[in-house]
Amino acid sequence: MSKARDALLASPIAQWLDVSADGEDACHLSFHERHIGNPAIRAIHGGVVEAFLEVTAQCALSAATDADTLPQTVNADIDYLRSSRAEDMHARAKVTRLGRRVAFVEAEAWQQDEAAPVAVARFRLHTPS
Amino acid sequence: MASKHTSRDINPAIGAMMRQARDFLAHEHSLFASLNIEPLLIGRGKTSFGVDLPTDFAGPDGKVHSTLLTIILDSMLGITVFTALEKLTPIATVNLRTDYLNTADAGARAVFSATCLDVSNEIARVSGELRLEEGDALLAVGSGAFMVGTRGATAGSRL
Repeated sequence: MSKARDALLASPIAQWLDVSADGEDACHLSFHERHIGNPAIRAIHGGVVEAFLEVTAQCALSAATDADTLPQTVNADIDYLRSSRAEDMHARAKVTRLGRRVAFVEAEAWQQDEAAPVAVARFRLHTPS
Repeated sequence: MASKHTSRDINPAIGAMMRQARDFLAHEHSLFASLNIEPLLIGRGKTSFGVDLPTDFAGPDGKVHSTLLTIILDSMLGITVFTALEKLTPIATVNLRTDYLNTADAGARAVFSATCLDVSNEIARVSGELRLEEGDALLAVGSGAFMVGTRGATAGSRL
């Protein structure tokens, strides 16, 4: 595991999200009430879903490059496909292109059924040196 | 004479809902309470808020992790959509794009501002930005599409 990935998973944002690694390219989000966006529908906040996917993407890229420093995200683009539920979430990321300066990573998140993702996202990140 | 509601005013029902939401979010919702949100401008289709960037959301370098900026953008862009609606109806984020331009020290305060560009065919399009309160550095810009009049979580679909 890369130093950058270790440091990210130990950082305050990962602690607040309660994210843990689930292999080289996947992460797990343990549900907490603080993740709820609209309490009327008890769905996980869309921004929290994006945050979870972005952390997963950074972990996957850090692992792929054995990075010492965290790859900074240039931009993010997320599609919300289904309402999430007040329960744990899983995510997997794939580095689709590792350039010298920019890397492209795709990630998707699901809850009970991996075949029914709640969100998919694409990230462009600075390739860590 | 009673005041007449014009197209430039926020719908009164939506205004009342937003005041209730403000009180709830400020005191009873742990995520939003931690952001210490202060309305600076709320007009029809236009908003501005002051917001904290708490240390709970720092990355390993001590700077605010970029994902907090998206959490703020998603929340505030949604509120901006509400101000542009003709009637009170549920909304849901369909898509969100965020560009990160600068980092900020955890604990800093930022100013969010946004404009709802269009509401048509059950889709609202909105864009906004986050700037550091001190120094005015641009932290992030975002744009989103929101479904207006969602069927709710019980239907199993946002769409």
